[in-house]
Amino acid sequence: MKNLVALCILFGFVPAVWAGGYAYTIRPTELKAQPYSDAQTLTTLPPQSRVEVLKRQASWTQVKSVSFSGWVKMLSLQLEASGQGKRGDNGLSALFNVAATGKSSSTVTTGIRGLSEEQLKNSKPNPQALQAAKRYAVSRAEAQRYAAEGKLNAQSVDYLSGGQ
Amino acid sequence: MRVQHSIVIICMLGAALPVAAFDLGNIDWKKAAETVKKVQKANAEINEPQEIMLGEGIASNLLGAAPLLDNPAVQQYVNRIGRWLALQTDRPDLPWQFGVLDDNDVNAFAAPGGYVFITKGLLAQMNSEAELAGVLAHEISHVLRKHHLQAIKKGARTELLSDLANDAIQSNGGDPRLTKLVSAGTEVYARGLDKNDEFEADRMGVVIAARGGYDPYGLPAVLQTLQSLNPNDSSVALMFKTHPALADRLNLLDQEMSGYFGGQENLPDLAPRFMQALGAGKK
Repeated sequence: MKNLVALCILFGFVPAVWAGGYAYTIRPTELKAQPYSDAQTLTTLPPQSRVEVLKRQASWTQVKSVSFSGWVKMLSLQLEASGQGKRGDNGLSALFNVAATGKSSSTVTTGIRGLSEEQLKNSKPNPQALQAAKRYAVSRAEAQRYAAEGKLNAQSVDYLSGGQ
Repeated sequence: MRVQHSIVIICMLGAALPVAAFDLGNIDWKKAAETVKKVQKANAEINEPQEIMLGEGIASNLLGAAPLLDNPAVQQYVNRIGRWLALQTDRPDLPWQFGVLDDNDVNAFAAPGGYVFITKGLLAQMNSEAELAGVLAHEISHVLRKHHLQAIKKGARTELLSDLANDAIQSNGGDPRLTKLVSAGTEVYARGLDKNDEFEADRMGVVIAARGGYDPYGLPAVLQTLQSLNPNDSSVALMFKTHPALADRLNLLDQEMSGYFGGQENLPDLAPRFMQALGAGKK
């Protein structure tokens, strides 16, 4: 696994989901050969089928088990809780020094601050921090430039009706 | 002239008499008039500068609860993504302000007027820019639809909101009513928004992300990850308490998104840029 991570970083490629996570189907689920609706259906997995998660592509998740591999609708799966309460590891937890459990170190050191229910109810304003945050605000032009740099193309999509 | 005067006085007396009579009938017209005035005030909408003023106070309170993450590159990255998404909405020119809070709790907050914060704990659960976009777009939707203001109204702070709407509250001078209102607004995070407002922000959020050119399944992917976290962990306690069940949110998104994003099947998730921006690539 470590080698895989090293390789991915070396080649500048980072898969959306690291291998190693498991999930189970929450309903009868068609296993497709390719990640699209009219691709060949390989089999139908019964509910509670345990699969290994390989990667996600839009609404599809690539999965495998000892007896099959293919693509299923992402939302037909529920990810299994891993040992540390987190699927896989994207490297960010370590980077940000996020503990698997417990509160942040800042909470421990100050003893008062934090985002629990009680702490939010008793929080005091911090106008200096707000001014500091404002320094990072981005202009319309800069947002557009950065989107173009990422080759993002704005789409025209209506809001979902929510069944109304 | 004198005759006219008398007529006026008589008319005034005549008008006053029925009031006196009704008073005797235990109807307090003065009080009733005040009530009507209050109801009218309650329905007065607060305008955009007032909304921003309130949001700024709430944002300041949030930053009193948790500090900003001391990482300018990450702060700027999140602002770039957030502002681009906000440009895809009908309120593109609010003073949109995004920030990452240095806290391990897994949560995100939106305040009126365009303030959006996510914790580093939530950021660490994400795998791509599309996932970040989905979460930011969900929070942006709360601002667009003024869900927070609705929650403050429900919290019986209608009168203070009315004072704000009627310009009785000024920002400078430390009006104690504004302080109260801001406190009430901050307490909303401990209580949570209306369940249906959360569902609405989910279905608006996936559309705003797609409008920005992102894979719209970023938000459900994050929700799916959160579903795999240990619900007994203190870092997810408040987020779980103040939001509808993840299974319900995912189920609704599944139904509503199914077949809807046919034209957006292959939009990018920009996972490499996300990892690079957050510095993970250097490790």
